[in-house]
Amino acid sequence: MNANRTPTHERIRLTGTPVGRMVRITDFGDEIDPLQREQLHAYGLSAAHAVKVLQQTPMTVLLCEHVELAIEHEVARHLWVAMA
Amino acid sequence: MNHAVSLASPSGALRTLALVGHPNVGKSVLFHRLTGTYVTVSNYPGTTVEVSRAAPRFDREASLLDTPGVLALPSRSDDERATMRALLNEDMRTLIQVGDAKNLRRTLNLTALLAELGVPMVMALNMTDEAKARGVHVDAAALGETLGVPVVATVATGGEGVAALTDALPHAAVPAPLLRYDPVLERDIVRIEQLILGTCPHPRLAARGLAILAIGRDPEVEAWLAAQPGSEPLRATLAELTAAIGRDSLPARLARERGGAAEALARTVTQQAGGKDRTLSMLLGRVAVHRLWGWPMLLGVLYLVYLFVGDFGASTLVGLLEEDFFGEVLNPAVTDFVHSHISTPWLADLFVGEYGLWTMGMTYALALILPIVTTFFLAFGVLEDSGYFSRLSVIANRLFAAIGLNGRAVLPMVLGLGCVTMATLTTRILHTPRERLITIYLMALAIPCSAQLGVVLGLLGGISFGATVIWVAAIVLVLLFTGWLASKVVPGRRVPLITELPPMRMPVLGNVLKKTGGRLKWYLIEVIPLFLIGTLIMFVLDRSGALPWIIEAGKPLVVGWLGLPPEASAAFVMGFLRRDFGASGLFALQGELSMVQAVVGMVTITLFVPCIASLMMIVKEQGMKVAALMLAMIIPTAFLVGGLLNHGLRLFF
Repeated sequence: MNANRTPTHERIRLTGTPVGRMVRITDFGDEIDPLQREQLHAYGLSAAHAVKVLQQTPMTVLLCEHVELAIEHEVARHLWVAMA
Repeated sequence: MNHAVSLASPSGALRTLALVGHPNVGKSVLFHRLTGTYVTVSNYPGTTVEVSRAAPRFDREASLLDTPGVLALPSRSDDERATMRALLNEDMRTLIQVGDAKNLRRTLNLTALLAELGVPMVMALNMTDEAKARGVHVDAAALGETLGVPVVATVATGGEGVAALTDALPHAAVPAPLLRYDPVLERDIVRIEQLILGTCPHPRLAARGLAILAIGRDPEVEAWLAAQPGSEPLRATLAELTAAIGRDSLPARLARERGGAAEALARTVTQQAGGKDRTLSMLLGRVAVHRLWGWPMLLGVLYLVYLFVGDFGASTLVGLLEEDFFGEVLNPAVTDFVHSHISTPWLADLFVGEYGLWTMGMTYALALILPIVTTFFLAFGVLEDSGYFSRLSVIANRLFAAIGLNGRAVLPMVLGLGCVTMATLTTRILHTPRERLITIYLMALAIPCSAQLGVVLGLLGGISFGATVIWVAAIVLVLLFTGWLASKVVPGRRVPLITELPPMRMPVLGNVLKKTGGRLKWYLIEVIPLFLIGTLIMFVLDRSGALPWIIEAGKPLVVGWLGLPPEASAAFVMGFLRRDFGASGLFALQGELSMVQAVVGMVTITLFVPCIASLMMIVKEQGMKVAALMLAMIIPTAFLVGGLLNHGLRLFF
């Protein structure tokens, strides 16, 4: 995890974000597999991009530019976000 | 409308055009519109796992490819690799990138790489109707100007923009690059590009594009390079450059920079107005993946499918066809006709005897199985076009985690309920060999195809709802236990699920009927010859005295262990050819079976060997050794479970 980009107190895990909130992706944790990191980029999730959290269980569901993405908690908990 | 557009090459060789794009953006619909050739179209990612080819209407001398969707390039999954192979090995003259208008950023992310390949391109900006409904407007003219290629807004499902797209093809041009990578990356790209140009230039694809893919560790490009003579120094340099892994690996940095460039361009040509943020489609989509409401919805869907297939198809329609029409009218007429024209008794029996080609083979295929698979394919078509199956992967994810898979595996498994052979091919959408191996094994063991499912529901539903529940519970338990065991034995780790959820849509009746028709044609072509061969084998076994011997020899297992009547041995012999053929054999014994016997018989035949076509597909996908090993595990498992169930149920019933 890269801690020097954004102060830690401003960042929360995606899994800890309330449903219905707009958040901005701030960082991808190192725990995320490189292939899945590529997959997330390909789906349009990248740093500084704003997404809306639609649901947290059974999986985290995001609205990313009119496309809904479901992300398992094992990955979503390593996505760091800030409130948009 | 038929637009005659000449794309003739000077050499006169067959020119290839290809539809490329993300999964579920409408490539196959467009392929159908441009060629008149129907390929299966669905509302979930991964419908196309192999390249389809047909001559387009606008130029019968050319060849148009429908490629599997690529989430991103460099390729990673098997379906992405199939697309990359097509790009590398075909005489590619024009690319038609099919993009999603409501998510331009993602579309341009792929464009950023395709642009480097040096192949003339046209962009079909599809699903503009859905974009409009969400308040998204893309300035296609401005985008086309920036990219230097024609950009045509389309709604492929309604045929809008298809003529304009055809008209634009002669104006296809090599796109302007979307970005220059940072100087360090550029230095590496140029280094590899020069080595490719010096040792093995590709006849169609630009060396720079190949260099970017090679640095991104595309396995197909690596394989292509490895096959080129004199490429050893190039591969050594590549190995040195791509040794680092993690967030700062070269592939990751390349992907990040492409993402940034795509975002910047998308912003300049897209306008977002206020769209509807709550439609019935969105509401249904949310309910389908809701942690509480998702389950009642799933049960409701299953119940409706059961009513339509198990009740209406397997009871009402089969009753009308098998008993009333074939039993009362057609078969007596055919029997009279045969007996009046064929005087040799054994020859007459070959057609209309107990194991007659007509009275058994054709009657099973047309009167018993056909109504069941027709209703199943109709229900299946409605569900897959609605977008529900992708949502099922979210609901099922936790359950699949228990067997070392993720929810994505639910797609081939649900498809397996239609046809395990087709579904085995669809496992290519799974990301790792481990996931594919476990999924294929579980499908071969415990996923009944529609024909078999219909026969099972028809027989057990006629006995009692409880019998059906016991059968379902037994199969699910075997699936979960075997899956859990396989996840412990097969090396590798589970991959967490990340998936797109396509919008819920109202299924288009024409598409559902077309798909059902195509599947039924495929079914009849595959099944009727096998049913006839199976009947012929049964006839020969019966005539030669081998069948009574098999029935006698099978008694300890079939009668002693499974508790079935001796004649059930014949059903298992039939099951070697197709499980539904074997199930039909048990169905024919329904008057003689108790509830316990019916459940045990159907559980055993469900778990029994996969049909010959599925087996061939497993050999194709996993190799002979793996297929043989699977078979060696499946047959004993089927009899073991059947016997345990027999002895267990007899304690209570």
